[in-house]
Amino acid sequence: MKIFDPTSKPVDAAVTLPARPASLRGLRIGLVENKKVNSSAILEKLAERLAARHGTTVTVRNSKRSMSHEIDDAAIAALRGGADVVISGIGD
Amino acid sequence: MNEPGTANDPAALIEAYYEAGFTDGLPVVPPSETSIAAMLAGAGLRGDEVIGEIRGRNARVTADKVALNAVMAGCLPEYLPVVVAAVTGLCHPDFSYHGPASSTGGSAMVLIVNGSLAETLGINSGHNAFGQGHRANATIGRAVRLVMMNVMNTKPGFLDRATFGTPGKYSFCFAERPEHPWEPFHVSRGFAATDSTVTVYASNSLHQVFNQLASTPEPILACYADALCNLGSPNVLGFNEGLVVMGFEHAEVMRAAGWSRRDVQTWLVEHARRRVAEFKRAGRLTGDVTPADETAWRYVYEAPEDILIVCAGGAGSWSACLPGWGKKWTRSITTRIDKEPA
Repeated sequence: MKIFDPTSKPVDAAVTLPARPASLRGLRIGLVENKKVNSSAILEKLAERLAARHGTTVTVRNSKRSMSHEIDDAAIAALRGGADVVISGIGD
Repeated sequence: MNEPGTANDPAALIEAYYEAGFTDGLPVVPPSETSIAAMLAGAGLRGDEVIGEIRGRNARVTADKVALNAVMAGCLPEYLPVVVAAVTGLCHPDFSYHGPASSTGGSAMVLIVNGSLAETLGINSGHNAFGQGHRANATIGRAVRLVMMNVMNTKPGFLDRATFGTPGKYSFCFAERPEHPWEPFHVSRGFAATDSTVTVYASNSLHQVFNQLASTPEPILACYADALCNLGSPNVLGFNEGLVVMGFEHAEVMRAAGWSRRDVQTWLVEHARRRVAEFKRAGRLTGDVTPADETAWRYVYEAPEDILIVCAGGAGSWSACLPGWGKKWTRSITTRIDKEPA
């Protein structure tokens, strides 16, 4: 019995995530909001609390065209070069 | 020999595809080397040709996988060019696949086929245009959904997060009727009358609209406008597209009154509206209701061209209104079907 696989493999087989920082103390924060209702407000409040507790600073803010759209290459470059930690992902 | 329980037992093969998680819940046609090759030949494609990519999902769609899923869906080889063109549309950046494919407001991917190929392939545009009973309609739409599930990572519970979904997620494909008061839909979008095209459009609901008594356009269009701006519509928060599939009898009323497609679109944009106070009371807009809100209109479509007008269906005083998914996060995409069947 031969089963044909109708699925595809990912284009990039391996995605390497950076190591999680041991501490947030003094790190640079990047915020990516996706235009969901209150997305920006929640992220800004989160950043405010992180700043108060860990001395972090928001250094990069990105606002996606919509939650449906991918983040663009320029924004990725800005986050890669200008932030140590990125917060994104707001749902309903 | 097709002995039960053997390698050639069709039922066992079908079960194997279920067990592997490759189906949409319905039995699939088990592919073979021969049927996959025949399917590819139907579109004149090599297996390694890239049909499109969904970058954010790290997914690349190749012809061999589209053909394989089309075989599983029950397509004839001559259907493959339509499936390929539809998948190309899904991969267009302006369709912005991720939103309509993964949203809690689970959408059907509505496929509208225009041009002579629709008739050649037997894609139903008449009676029961959205319903069962026509192989081309059923299997072309199904093939696209299987490609979404198997190749574009759109499995329910994973990157398909639909709260309800819709039966249209199994398949939603129909053709426009050749009898038409205006130029065909694809011509209105800049294609030649001699082209065959498929339009992909994301919609999570379908309202069948009945109006048997009206003999002038406005009362019929008022029913459409109401269906296109219900209180729960996502469009309340921003503009998107709306699709009106006009039944033949309603289209005849428009023709007899001398209304153009543009006239219909403009009327609908101007009348698909509710008072701001209604939306606020329903919790769809924030803030307290002010006296001014009682008379202020909130419009849910921005421009005439955002209302897509297509003619289909059989006898009866019905039309169908399908509000679009989301805001302007996705746009319908019309793609020319380049490769005619071999």
